[in-house]
Amino acid sequence: MPNIVVLVKRVPDTNAKITVSGGSLDLSAVKFVISPFDEYAIEAALRHKEANGGTVTALTLGSDACDKVLKDAKALGVDNLVRLWNQGWENLDSNGVQSALASAIGDLGSDVVYCGKSAADSNAGSTGPGVAERLGWTSVSNASAVSFEEAGVEAMIPTSSGQARVGLNFPCVVSMDKGEMEPRRPNVRGIMMAKRAVVEVISAEAPTPTVNVVRYSPPAEKPPGKTYEGAGNVPTVVQALRNEAGVI
Amino acid sequence: MTKWNKRGIIIQAPFAAIGEEMNFAETDEHSMIREMVREWAEAELTPTIEHRDANQIAPIEEWAAFAELGLQGITIAEEYGGMPVDDISEAIIIEELARVDASFAVFYCVHVGLCCKTISLHGTEEQKQKYLTQLGADKVGAYSLSEAGAGTDAAALSCKATLSEDGTHYKLNGLKMWVTNGASADIYVLFAKVTGHPDYGVKKHGGVTAFIVEKTFEGFTVGKKEDKLGIRSSDTCTLELNDCIVPVENVLGKVGKGFSIAMNALDNSRIGIAAQALGIAQGAFEAALKFSRERETFGTPIGRHQMITSYLADMATEIECSRMMVYKAAWAKEQHYENGAPRHSLEASMAKLKAGDTAMWVAERAVQIHGGYGFVKEFPVERFFRDAKITQIYEGTQEVQKLVIARNLT
Repeated sequence: MPNIVVLVKRVPDTNAKITVSGGSLDLSAVKFVISPFDEYAIEAALRHKEANGGTVTALTLGSDACDKVLKDAKALGVDNLVRLWNQGWENLDSNGVQSALASAIGDLGSDVVYCGKSAADSNAGSTGPGVAERLGWTSVSNASAVSFEEAGVEAMIPTSSGQARVGLNFPCVVSMDKGEMEPRRPNVRGIMMAKRAVVEVISAEAPTPTVNVVRYSPPAEKPPGKTYEGAGNVPTVVQALRNEAGVI
Repeated sequence: MTKWNKRGIIIQAPFAAIGEEMNFAETDEHSMIREMVREWAEAELTPTIEHRDANQIAPIEEWAAFAELGLQGITIAEEYGGMPVDDISEAIIIEELARVDASFAVFYCVHVGLCCKTISLHGTEEQKQKYLTQLGADKVGAYSLSEAGAGTDAAALSCKATLSEDGTHYKLNGLKMWVTNGASADIYVLFAKVTGHPDYGVKKHGGVTAFIVEKTFEGFTVGKKEDKLGIRSSDTCTLELNDCIVPVENVLGKVGKGFSIAMNALDNSRIGIAAQALGIAQGAFEAALKFSRERETFGTPIGRHQMITSYLADMATEIECSRMMVYKAAWAKEQHYENGAPRHSLEASMAKLKAGDTAMWVAERAVQIHGGYGFVKEFPVERFFRDAKITQIYEGTQEVQKLVIARNLT
């Protein structure tokens, strides 16, 4: 039965207002959640287990602040919680993250890894393919649906003219997009299971970062919108949409 | 527990009492429960509350959907199909429901707090097997103590229960009032005086006995549905008992011991109502804050006018004060049942008094901040304002809370 790993990342809530102060991010008043695409990965992993048996391990890389997202995953039904962390990893770059994760996944003896296609904070989309590259495993990105075989998975991925169904043999990495598989919500039974769950903390080697963030800056503020009221303004709005916005 | 000396000076603060470090951080599980309920309430209750409130429709369809979260069984042991949570979690659930829909919150509060919890505490094994398994699935529970002449003065019950000659059942007669979930419920914890009890007619609450009554019992009729100012999507009804036949095995606890069961139940659910009041205040505050940022006068959002910022600061502070008291009362209740600490009557009454008054005051300020928009139904503060009032009345009026508090001080 498959040994299934799902990668989860703790990110700021996508509705949160991110402020930048003194070139650094101020996340003190921000709520943190599982990265939304990772929720689809968890759903795929749980469905894989429900179809073919096996175990699902949720794996994250981060400090103990990340235990909450692992417990969120536990409340949805994963079996094991593993957090990968070392002192001095506060500023790991993507290369370091992928190396450390690949090492941990190898140690966990997994057959298949599910992850979100990109994280809501960095939006880089490099973790899934990067981990697969380091492990030398088959990989597919942007899967909108998966079905489960004895020794592999079939994934639906977008192509320039539609969709393709591709087959992957174990071991493999599947990066999930928002698709046909609606993520489940927790219930109180799951939350009580999460309360009793233990997070296993493991460590690994990671290369020294070669990419450093120099400073953060907020995006340019959007110009204020224009408001029109009353039917008499319809021609003005049409003109503005045509000439200023260029959308009609 | 807080202990006071006769000069009103605290001689023992609550947290020091059990030697724990003070810790005000919400646990991960509390956060998860809050997030789960908030997400569900916003998605499932918000779209229908306006219609249900206007037409006094009970949230039966919403209740069926709610069952997926498994929260209907939080005061029922796992062996009967429930999933117990701690008392702070219960307060958080009710707070989050009331933040969106105070009617659904009280519907839930009565089910878990007054009905299921009372059967869990006082029921026999057979009663638990029979009723808690249903209440933890899809059946709705209610609690019926009040009558026309017995509200605050609960011992003045006039409903009578007479044992049949063959000793197999009681016949209940009388009219119960103000029964929350009156029409929606399937199973009721109901109080009446047993006429054959030695204390009947001797002591004021002599003979008061708790019964588990099913809606389908012969002689049981749901009567008039009240047309209410607030919490209009929660059905409040009279119950008519005309030779209602209740088997003797449905006596909850012992015959004649019902008054203390009733009072204990109210102590417990008082914290739930305090949590409901907290949620109403929070919902009204959030609406007012949003409006104050969007509404402009004299070219400035009204939330930047000094007068409005003063209101908002006071509202937020009062709500936080209520929240501390509600959670502390819930914690005290947990300590009582889990660790044998003294009863939490004082904490429960203080929390209810403070949170009820805060809900009313915050909702009124929220309407004031909205101006004319707060006086019409397009904005939710009009509903919060109407819903808030009941939290100063039921589960013991504010005057009763003061009585309980004062008695604990002297």
